[in-house]
Amino acid sequence: MKILMLGWEYPPHISGGLGTACEGLTTALAERDIEIDFLVPRLFGEEDAPHMQILGAASAEPIAETPTPTPARTQGQGPPSAPDPLSQLVAAEPALATDPIFTAAAQAAGAEVAATGKTGLNTIRVPAMLKPYLDQKTYKELIASGALDKTAMARILAAEISHPLPGPPGQMTGLEHAHVPGADFTYSDPSSGGAHYGDDLFSEVARYAMSATRRVQGRQYDLVHAHDWMTFPAGVEIARRAGAPLLVHVHSLEYDRAGHGADRNIVSVEHQGLEAATRVIAVSYYTRNLINQVHGTPLDKISVVHNGVYTRETVEAYTEQRSSKGPVVLFLGRVTFQKGPEYFVQAAARVLEHVPDAVFVMAGSGDMLPRMKAMVEELGITKSFRFPGFVRGAELERTFSTADVYVMPSVSEPFGIAPLEAMSYDRPVIVSKQSGVSEVLRNALKVDFWDVDKMASQIVALLELPELRGVIVERAREEIRHIHWDAAAETLIPVYQSILRG
Amino acid sequence: MPSVCFYFEVHQPYRLKPYGALQVGRDHDYFDEKLNAEVLRKVANTCYLPANEAMLRMIERTDGRFRASYALTGVVIEQMKLYAPEVLDSFVRLAKTGSVELIAETYYHTLAALYDKDEYRDQIEMEMKLIESEFGQVPRVFRNTELIYNDEIGQLIADEGFNAMIIEGADDVLDWRSPNFVYRVAGRDMKLLVKNYKLSDDIAFRFSNKDWSDYPLTAEKFAGWIHGRSGAGDVVNLFMDYETFGEHQWKETGIFDFLEQLPDLLFTHPQWDILTPSQVVDRYPALGELPCQRTVSWADEARDVSAWQGNAMQQRALAEIYSLGSAVRRRNNSHLLALWRRLQTSDHFYYMATKSNFDAAVHDYFSPYEGPYDAFIHYMNVMKDLNLSVLATAEKQIQL
Repeated sequence: MKILMLGWEYPPHISGGLGTACEGLTTALAERDIEIDFLVPRLFGEEDAPHMQILGAASAEPIAETPTPTPARTQGQGPPSAPDPLSQLVAAEPALATDPIFTAAAQAAGAEVAATGKTGLNTIRVPAMLKPYLDQKTYKELIASGALDKTAMARILAAEISHPLPGPPGQMTGLEHAHVPGADFTYSDPSSGGAHYGDDLFSEVARYAMSATRRVQGRQYDLVHAHDWMTFPAGVEIARRAGAPLLVHVHSLEYDRAGHGADRNIVSVEHQGLEAATRVIAVSYYTRNLINQVHGTPLDKISVVHNGVYTRETVEAYTEQRSSKGPVVLFLGRVTFQKGPEYFVQAAARVLEHVPDAVFVMAGSGDMLPRMKAMVEELGITKSFRFPGFVRGAELERTFSTADVYVMPSVSEPFGIAPLEAMSYDRPVIVSKQSGVSEVLRNALKVDFWDVDKMASQIVALLELPELRGVIVERAREEIRHIHWDAAAETLIPVYQSILRG
Repeated sequence: MPSVCFYFEVHQPYRLKPYGALQVGRDHDYFDEKLNAEVLRKVANTCYLPANEAMLRMIERTDGRFRASYALTGVVIEQMKLYAPEVLDSFVRLAKTGSVELIAETYYHTLAALYDKDEYRDQIEMEMKLIESEFGQVPRVFRNTELIYNDEIGQLIADEGFNAMIIEGADDVLDWRSPNFVYRVAGRDMKLLVKNYKLSDDIAFRFSNKDWSDYPLTAEKFAGWIHGRSGAGDVVNLFMDYETFGEHQWKETGIFDFLEQLPDLLFTHPQWDILTPSQVVDRYPALGELPCQRTVSWADEARDVSAWQGNAMQQRALAEIYSLGSAVRRRNNSHLLALWRRLQTSDHFYYMATKSNFDAAVHDYFSPYEGPYDAFIHYMNVMKDLNLSVLATAEKQIQL
């Protein structure tokens, strides 16, 4: 069976969980003799995917190339006239300095500035876009707060958005079967200001659809498998042209990320893909129901394939290194609406009445971080809170290892891999019931994200009852070994087969 | 002349309400009255009332040759009085037929046999008084909570003066012996009636299981299996939860038809009859001693006590509750004593079990909570409040 998979990113250059999920899934599928062409907007050359053919949509070469030497992008090589908007931004919000999304954006902007200076607009050097997870609100709020003036922001963003596809703009109307609302090809001058990030993302989506279509023209596939809304237009276009069945895989919905503040254009692209698809894959029953509620897709058209994790040895140690005396309760993730940070803060205030020396760590950055800091101050619990910003690498390991409890209070979480990571560090976890991962976990405490009293009670219990912690950790260690990508592939392949049988 | 002996267990615990850490020190009302009332009324309608009617009909139709025995815990009788008094009336009617024997157990369905012998004896005595006052019978046969048994428990019950005790027919305890004979407690002159778990579980667990090779189980087939034991034993003991009829096995499975057809079909073989446990004791001699060093029960595949004390959470909770014994008794407060005893009911610990596979499914089926961890959290929060608020306050009052 030969399939075309449409992705948006692939490790190591990833901005969220989607790339990691694609790596795990394709590896397990390939072991089961599924032949895969995997298309991403562009390749960085560091992708390690010997199990399949990985293709950059914008490239003419079929396999991962050696990295193109990146033009130096020291500040000195930027346009001399520009005040350094980046420094301004970081000065206004220090947490951004360690935010991977932001730094990726900033680097991309720098790279573009350099590239424009040297080779014009023919080189595509940045990711097609900074992803589904990039939070537009972060930037909008920064502008609104006056921390950054609009033109400086526009310059940063315009730098990212000024990458046309190879070929003249005239070719950009090539989509016959897919429509991308909000895609705007009229801008061409990055210095004209007024760049709207959102418009640009849609343009990138449309561009990806067109270049992907061109890239695979003439190839034969049994099935087209598209991951998340950014690849749906490409999937629809390619599947229609090739007469192949389309399977769309929903890792998250716009509703998950934004709730009722959902971008209607994104919802519309999602809808188009769901309608055109022969079959839909959801990463959880939670997501399956949400797709049904938000888009009206019939439940019997949606199959559930739970994500897996890469198992690894559990990590000991670090516990002596903790800096606080009291027990540590950890939130680790983007500090955004979707992740429910305010429920963590509210639960913390209640826990402190019972466990006064508890320490709450909110690790991560995002648009709600300033509000969370203000909330902690209003509640008078600043002394019990730490905000280390985004953590990675050894610091991430230390953060997990020194926590006594990990809490994921997400408002809407299609799957949620972080609790599994915490479990691999032998940490007991509390997960919201509004998450896909809660469906596959027995050895975690579960709570409705809004039920802060119960969340607090669970935290207190985990801190006060060593027997509870002991039993959970011991059983969870065994449990996560069974949540792997092989199981996902075993569930997915029969879905493929049933589609091919018609 | 071989016999069949039916014994049914009737019990409902006082389930704890979801009791969070934030309630400690503020809320001294521990039980989920609404849920407990709901469950009792539901089971009354699905099982107790229709099953009792079926039993009455069977007794009338066979001129009293159909017989059965029941153990009703004190806590289920209390709840019947509170939430569905007609159920208790219907059991009293059954008891008055002369074909139904009441047997004894502990009032609170406790695990005290393993932790606090004085408490254990007190609860047996309470139950004896209750059964006599409600049904006008003085039980001669005893069953321990969940058929938990070892030599020591058997000897204690013998010393309490019972004629017989009902136990699980675990393979390793029976060894080469058949469950279809009467045995004797090691070192005492008290008889043991051993559950035939194969035939009992065919009804209680497998009746509606479509994956079972003998599905569907008809009364003809089952009576045939019993008759096949002719000459190979004195008594086939069919012991199970009464809720098997209509609750664990829904009415739609045909369980009531099966039950009502069974006596007539059993009687088609002229040698077989149906006896109550006391009649079995009076008719059949003990074949020999049945020593039992390990503690057995009728729960889970292991048929041991791991269903209640298998993990560290359960062990902690049990240690907590039984450590309060002397403090509670010192208060000499009947309300507090009853509260402590309700918290001893084995179901609380059963909900905390972390078993896997089939056992887990059974534990989940019975649990009112989302899982073992919630069960443990609620229980320990209640214990904390009991210690902090109730016991500490009582201490102060005594000092005053």
